[in-house]
Amino acid sequence: MKPAPFRYVAPRSVDETLALLAEHGAEGKILAGGQSLVPLLNMRLARPQVIVDINGIRSLAYIRRKDDHLHVGALTRQRAVEESATVRRQVPLLWEAIRFVGHPQIRTRGTVGGSLAHADPSAELPAVAAALDAELVVRSPSGERALSPGEFFAGYLTTALEPTDLLTEIRFPLLPERTGTAFVEVARRHGDFALVGVAAVVRRSDGTIAEARLAFTGVGPGPVRARGAEGRLAGSAGTSRVFADAAREAAARLDPESEIHATAQYRRDVAATLARRALELAWQRSGGRTR
Amino acid sequence: MSVRTVRKTRGVVGESVRRVDGVPKVKGQFLFGSDLWAEGMLWGHTVRSPHPSARIRSIDISKALARPGVAAVLVAQDVPGKKTYGLEFADQPVLAWDRVRYAGEPVTILAAVDPETARRAASLINVDYEILPAVTDMEQALRPDAPKVHDFGNILRHIRIEHGRSAKADVWVEGYYETGMQDQAPLGPESGMAIPAEDGGVDLYVATQWLHVDREQIAPCLNLPLEKVRLHLAGVGGAFGAREDVSMQIHACMLALRTGRPVKMSYTREESFYGHVHRHPAHVWMRHGARRDGTLVYVYARLVLDGGAYASSSAAVIHNAATFAAGPYEVPNALIEATCVYTNNPPCGAMRSFGAVQAAIGYEAQMDKLAKALGMPPIQLRLKNVVSPGSVLPTGQVIRGSAPVRELIRRCAAIPLPPEEPAERRDPLSLPGGAGNVSRGERLKRGVGFAVGYKNIAYSGGFDDSAEARVRLFRGPGGAIAEVHSAAAEVGQGIHTVLVQIARTELGIEHVVLHPPDTNVGSAGSTSASRQTMMSGGAVQLACQAVKKDLFARVRRWAQAEGRTVPEPLTVEGGMVLAAGEPLAPIEEFLETPIEQTRVYHHRPTTPIDEKGQGEPHVSFGFAAERAVVEVDEELGLVRVVQIAAAQDVGRALNPQGVYGQIEGGTAQGLGFALMEEIQLKDGLIKNASFTDYLIPTILDMPPVVSELIEEPEPGVPFGAKGVGEMSTIVSTPAIVAALRSATGRELNRIPVRPDDLIGLSPPVTSPGPPPSPEVPGPEPIPKYVGLAAGQAILGGTE
Ligand SMILES: Cc1cc2nc3c(=O)[nH]c(=O)nc-3n(C[C@H](O)[C@H](O)[C@H](O)COP(=O)(O)OP(=O)(O)OC[C@H]3O[C@@H](n4cnc5c(N)ncnc54)[C@H](O)[C@@H]3O)c2cc1C
Repeated sequence: MKPAPFRYVAPRSVDETLALLAEHGAEGKILAGGQSLVPLLNMRLARPQVIVDINGIRSLAYIRRKDDHLHVGALTRQRAVEESATVRRQVPLLWEAIRFVGHPQIRTRGTVGGSLAHADPSAELPAVAAALDAELVVRSPSGERALSPGEFFAGYLTTALEPTDLLTEIRFPLLPERTGTAFVEVARRHGDFALVGVAAVVRRSDGTIAEARLAFTGVGPGPVRARGAEGRLAGSAGTSRVFADAAREAAARLDPESEIHATAQYRRDVAATLARRALELAWQRSGGRTR
Repeated sequence: MSVRTVRKTRGVVGESVRRVDGVPKVKGQFLFGSDLWAEGMLWGHTVRSPHPSARIRSIDISKALARPGVAAVLVAQDVPGKKTYGLEFADQPVLAWDRVRYAGEPVTILAAVDPETARRAASLINVDYEILPAVTDMEQALRPDAPKVHDFGNILRHIRIEHGRSAKADVWVEGYYETGMQDQAPLGPESGMAIPAEDGGVDLYVATQWLHVDREQIAPCLNLPLEKVRLHLAGVGGAFGAREDVSMQIHACMLALRTGRPVKMSYTREESFYGHVHRHPAHVWMRHGARRDGTLVYVYARLVLDGGAYASSSAAVIHNAATFAAGPYEVPNALIEATCVYTNNPPCGAMRSFGAVQAAIGYEAQMDKLAKALGMPPIQLRLKNVVSPGSVLPTGQVIRGSAPVRELIRRCAAIPLPPEEPAERRDPLSLPGGAGNVSRGERLKRGVGFAVGYKNIAYSGGFDDSAEARVRLFRGPGGAIAEVHSAAAEVGQGIHTVLVQIARTELGIEHVVLHPPDTNVGSAGSTSASRQTMMSGGAVQLACQAVKKDLFARVRRWAQAEGRTVPEPLTVEGGMVLAAGEPLAPIEEFLETPIEQTRVYHHRPTTPIDEKGQGEPHVSFGFAAERAVVEVDEELGLVRVVQIAAAQDVGRALNPQGVYGQIEGGTAQGLGFALMEEIQLKDGLIKNASFTDYLIPTILDMPPVVSELIEEPEPGVPFGAKGVGEMSTIVSTPAIVAALRSATGRELNRIPVRPDDLIGLSPPVTSPGPPPSPEVPGPEPIPKYVGLAAGQAILGGTE
């Protein structure tokens, strides 16, 4: 199918974009990589009057280290992140996860900002942002604000973004020494959306877990942080038993849905396994040994 | 006359010749049915029932008709001739008039200037339905109180095969198996274009499997004589049985004749799932008895297949399920009962190895159970019982052709197993769930499974199967050229290349061209049942031989006129006529006028089975064996098929590369059925009509397939070549499932196997026992007894 008719504008700067968004309000829609928006248009699940194509704004595509954060421009292609040695070194969790986003063709067009703004309940990047406590920088006619993942993700395919807002940058905090991360997911076929995915971050202090973070995708309307389990892990010894218990506890609190590709029971069941494997892997990567 | 030196003809039978359609397909230049285009054409659109069972109270088309850009809106009353059609029985309305029997059944059609106008106009059509109770469970359909899908009831065909008697056995094993509804998932959607002709007839360009049987069904509905309905093959983007039935053909012709303009119809992906038949879901109960030494003494098999709302080719599907239910094993005593029922589910029909697939999933699981109960290696048990030439099948049929099944099994089993490398040294992509980084090899279980299976080649049950071909040999600028005219549909399997190879071989020239397939030549029969190489290949061979006979007659006449004696025998090679092996003259020198011959090939007659299931229903058999190695992540239920070892009985490989391709493709389709492919139905509605939700394996899901071809020529068929398109599909599913059982120790008696099943979240399916056999007048399909036969007998060769 083909999309319903729309007007097309291609602003050259952030300011011009903001002006256009302000002008068209709810009738306008930002086009980034188009990997989620174009199918929606073609299936006529979205019928915006005006498409605001931001692909010409080069200044929105960058990967830059600044102080203790890695700044990623919203228009940075997912493939660029995947190919970036800086990302791989500085934010390995993002690097590991981004390779699970669709196929190379999709990542070559798809953007980091687009994935976050689209907020698919099975997407990888929202879970990465949640696990890393990234900051999402939003520009609007009234200025700039930085949102936490908790503030940004508002539910199923919904974010705190207003029609007049532009997501401009994502700031990933760099992790301290002796911190390991891991991203694992279950999909039926290579490149499919995850049935369940888990991002884990573990900071080690000798044989104990100084801090742990766990974020799931595919098991709720948006990314789900397992704060209870995180609390339990902090200060515990890094043993298989501890990881398994925490993973089970985290999974037990999830409330996934059944649909064509997986039952709720399967999702909950494998969420526990994945969480345990992700925690153990992150722990090993922090330099810890599992006992 | 000039004499050239002779070199061997290239590109003949036995060589891995490059496909004639290969380069254009790879370059994206090949035109598929969906690429058809004509000046001033309209776009056809189908409005379908959203209900699995309902009465149509009224249809209001006025708003749609009034919409600008809409050229015609047609309902059942507009069908010019016969109101129903069907491949074997005309039980399916062209457009529903009083009742709809499945969700997706066509109710109205329209033509408009573009697809979007057509879609919008369709949404303005108001059909008032009275919803009726639906029967969507195959066993419920058998109960006396079930809603009736057709006035004559819900039984489509019941077959009983009695062989030998009841028997005592030392060991008995029992099993219950279910298979889901698989889709052929051809990448090219149903597409075609009808162009009205000046003589009041119509030309239809369509992607189909059998031009002539389409025409047989189209012409009566249009109230036109056959010769006024001319079909031309459009580029076919995969078929696998899905194009054996009529989909948009009659609709496009009706719209074209009504509007006087070319009308194109091309289904969307979603519509395609509703627009073609599927693989029959099955419930299978089996009991096998054997002596201590492993000798099979008894097989009981009860099969119920869900035929959906209309007959399609169900009668043949249940026939194959029944006649192959005991597998390729010698068994002195068997009782086989097989029922195909009508339900309000989408119709099921032909799909690669129909019937044989469902049966093999049952009998191969049973053979493994038996091996376990006997404490015998599964391969040894199979070697002990497999058929060989002279074996008597449960139908009483004696295997007359080649059946190198023992060799097949040995060669398959001898293919080296893949090495077990430590997981941490492997590419994560090669681990189960490798796509998701989930495994470093922990909780990985490896399993190996084996399966043997067989099926018929070409049509069975007394059908006079035939194929026609015309060959024209003429002088071209660079020498002799042969043109082969056959209606055989190239659906991607490579028949066109094989026909060219056969013509080269017979005529000793390399320059062979294909006339586009159409109905200006006689029927080739369907591209199905692994039959085209044998049937159309046979027709081309006969036509070439007739052409050659004429050619040699000309040579002898010339020699006589010249007062020369040419030593016999005359032969052709490398573009030359040879006399007693010595070059005489280039072929083209005898082609002042072209030579043309048309021939029809028939295979040896078969017979229908009688009330006790006895007869000689099949003409020829193809066997295959596969061994699957799988790895399962026991905690996540994820699977990686590590290797498939395949051996196939091919008679003779006319194009070895093509044969390997068929084995690999068939294996992929079987792998899909084992692990992911299922049309999910809820109350008769398809829940996953898209390639996002109906999963088919990608190249990353496919293991290496190591194939062995067993070449033992089949007597009495052209070049001794057996059909090869379907056999790997029969065996790859049970081999993979057997490997999963060996890896997990779980029963896994429902196909496709889901991750939930592999980690024990859902228990094996159970059954309180097989349903009683229905009362039926005889072994023929019920629609036949009620006079619904479509009258296609003339396709059997009298045409
Ligand atoms: C076959 C296929 C498989 C896929 N598999 C996966 C997968 O496994 N995992 C996964 O996570 N994703 C997957 N995707 C989606 C893909 O990652 C998309 O790239 C991503 O979801 C959207 O990014 P985009 O740049 O293409 O955004 P677009 O499609 O252009 O936009 C998406 C939405 O975000 C809005 N938007 C975009 N940029 C901004 C911005 N800067 N500020 C405010 N709003 C903005 C748009 O208005 C729109 O509503 C898949 C897509 C396809 C087609």
